Amino acid sequence: MADTKLINLTIEGRAVSVPAGTTILEAAKTAGVLIPHYCYHPGLEIAGVCRMCLVEVEKMPKLAPSCATTVAEGQVVNVYTQKALDARKGVLELLLINHPLDCPICDQAGECELQDYTFQEGRADSRYHEPKRFNPAEDFGGDVLYVTNRCILCTRCVRFMGDVAGDEALCVEERGDRAHIGIAPNHDLSHPWAANVVDLCPVGALVSKDFLNKARAWELDRTASVCPNCSQGCNITLETRDENVVRMKPRSNDAVNHFYLCDEGRLNYSWINRDDRLETPVVAGKPATWEQALAAAGAALKGATAHVVANGSLSNEALWLLKQAVGTGKFRVAKGSEAALTGVKDLALRADRTPNATGAEMLGFTRAEQPLVGAGKVVVIAGEMCDGLDTSAIAGATTVIVLCTVIPKSLPANAILLPIANFAEEEGTFTNLRGRVQRFLQARPAPGHARASWMVLSELAAAAGKKGGYASAEAVFAAMAGTEATFGGMSYDSLGLKGQVAVAAGVNA
Amino acid sequence: MAITTRVVERPIEEASYMRATFKGLALTFKHLVDPHKVTVQYPEEKWDIGPRWRGTHRMLTTEDGKAKCVACGLCPTVCPANCIKLVPGVDEQGNRYPVVFDIDEFRCIFCGYCQEVCPEEAIHLGRHYENAETDRKDFIYDLKRLTAQTHPVCEMWDPADPRGE
Repeated sequence: MADTKLINLTIEGRAVSVPAGTTILEAAKTAGVLIPHYCYHPGLEIAGVCRMCLVEVEKMPKLAPSCATTVAEGQVVNVYTQKALDARKGVLELLLINHPLDCPICDQAGECELQDYTFQEGRADSRYHEPKRFNPAEDFGGDVLYVTNRCILCTRCVRFMGDVAGDEALCVEERGDRAHIGIAPNHDLSHPWAANVVDLCPVGALVSKDFLNKARAWELDRTASVCPNCSQGCNITLETRDENVVRMKPRSNDAVNHFYLCDEGRLNYSWINRDDRLETPVVAGKPATWEQALAAAGAALKGATAHVVANGSLSNEALWLLKQAVGTGKFRVAKGSEAALTGVKDLALRADRTPNATGAEMLGFTRAEQPLVGAGKVVVIAGEMCDGLDTSAIAGATTVIVLCTVIPKSLPANAILLPIANFAEEEGTFTNLRGRVQRFLQARPAPGHARASWMVLSELAAAAGKKGGYASAEAVFAAMAGTEATFGGMSYDSLGLKGQVAVAAGVNA
Repeated sequence: MAITTRVVERPIEEASYMRATFKGLALTFKHLVDPHKVTVQYPEEKWDIGPRWRGTHRMLTTEDGKAKCVACGLCPTVCPANCIKLVPGVDEQGNRYPVVFDIDEFRCIFCGYCQEVCPEEAIHLGRHYENAETDRKDFIYDLKRLTAQTHPVCEMWDPADPRGE
């Protein structure tokens, strides 16, 4: 990008300087003007098929499609002249001829670009009174349902599957008003990244079967977060309704996941809403107050050498506090198969199905198949569910302190149980496999008396006679950045919502 | 300044009460023989309410008796009193329908926005004013009650002149 030449032009009376080769549509975004568009998507090849982004460029004889027209020196672009508005109104009228107008039962209602642009620039009524074309909805496999009648044939899904996912499963079938998106014989959308077509679809033609009829788009609360389902660390938006997560959507971050999120990541969220949670501390098999439980745990830890079992789904803050309070230990990493999105560099569903394995390793924790093995008299288990682990290794322990969201099976009856929040209920950071430290925010309240894991561990550290009592996750992170060289110079402010690469990046690369 | 009183001598026809008494009695006797009525004999007789009266709700149904509602969620969204509870669901034919549709008539302010926003012309305010109940919880109308009610519904606009021109 060293020889980038800046082009000066005027868009809607505003002077804009953009690199040569930029399209008018992208240049207009920098001027704060969003030109209506359907087929254009920054992550896909330019198609120029929807004709929705027509704008008037001075000295050009005809209207220009702004998504496919590159900027030129001294250009004067007018987006809202009568000629351009009339052209876009005509496009919208034609798009709506066979559109069923079933917004009341359509999942896209509220976040539909056809609704938005029709409201902004379209006609108030239709001049078409003939019967509309009707095609039945089609199940495309995977998580995708195709509602043919709503389709505006922008072909974003076709281009995504062909160019980005590398699986030419979709195409446009038939001609004229019979045209629709067709699926190749013996194909379905079971590609591990196929559900991205639901996000790419600007209308309600491709909808998620998982989310179907669950909630209206405007009822959802949205929280910036990081996908907890593998070590790639895709940026996501957690969308909650009545404090339950109902779907996960990708949040664009060009350094990690661009615009995409894999199916396994987006559909694996129901565990966040589990209602069989541990809601109160337990000491010696009986419910206890936090003061009693922390005092008992702190007394057991004082002067003792504890065996620590951590988990790669704990935040950096919690792991660092665990190291401060008790010491480093072992953790287990769940494994799965890897599935790359071929059209995007360094983006895949990773084999490590835990979001913070790299962070744990950077903080001195080590991987182990059986992390419980080698336990002594005092054992601290943080975040590990112990499913499929041989718990006979801790049968001889005198004190077992467990920080958990759900009570693990086959624990000694005298274990001290401390309820912690899961990742959607607390604030923190994860380090992805390329060493990128990324923040996630709280999306729902923790159940009962459960507390954020950083808070429990900071009070446990204080109870064990170490430095603790931090007031917020941000304060913990600041203290961690002060002591750990890998996080040196970082703060929640500098991380922002897109993250920063840690100093000792590439530990696991 | 000293207060002084001045007695005004008035003619007898102005000072006498007799004239006013006879005038009042004349009106009384006129109403004895005049059939003109003002009082409505409620409850035997019901008041004739206007076509735009906004009373307690009714849910209109299709021919097969199901609620017209498709659970689009616009009425709970537009409701300024937040009195509509709606949980959407899908039936065996794949159609959206309201699993729960409760209106808290105590909380309702009878603004009529729900009727105005409804794309299916399902929820309506009623031309109805006899709402007495013996229990507070009976004022939360559920879908069964909303569809079972038969009173006439509010006409937000004249069907012959929808734009009010």
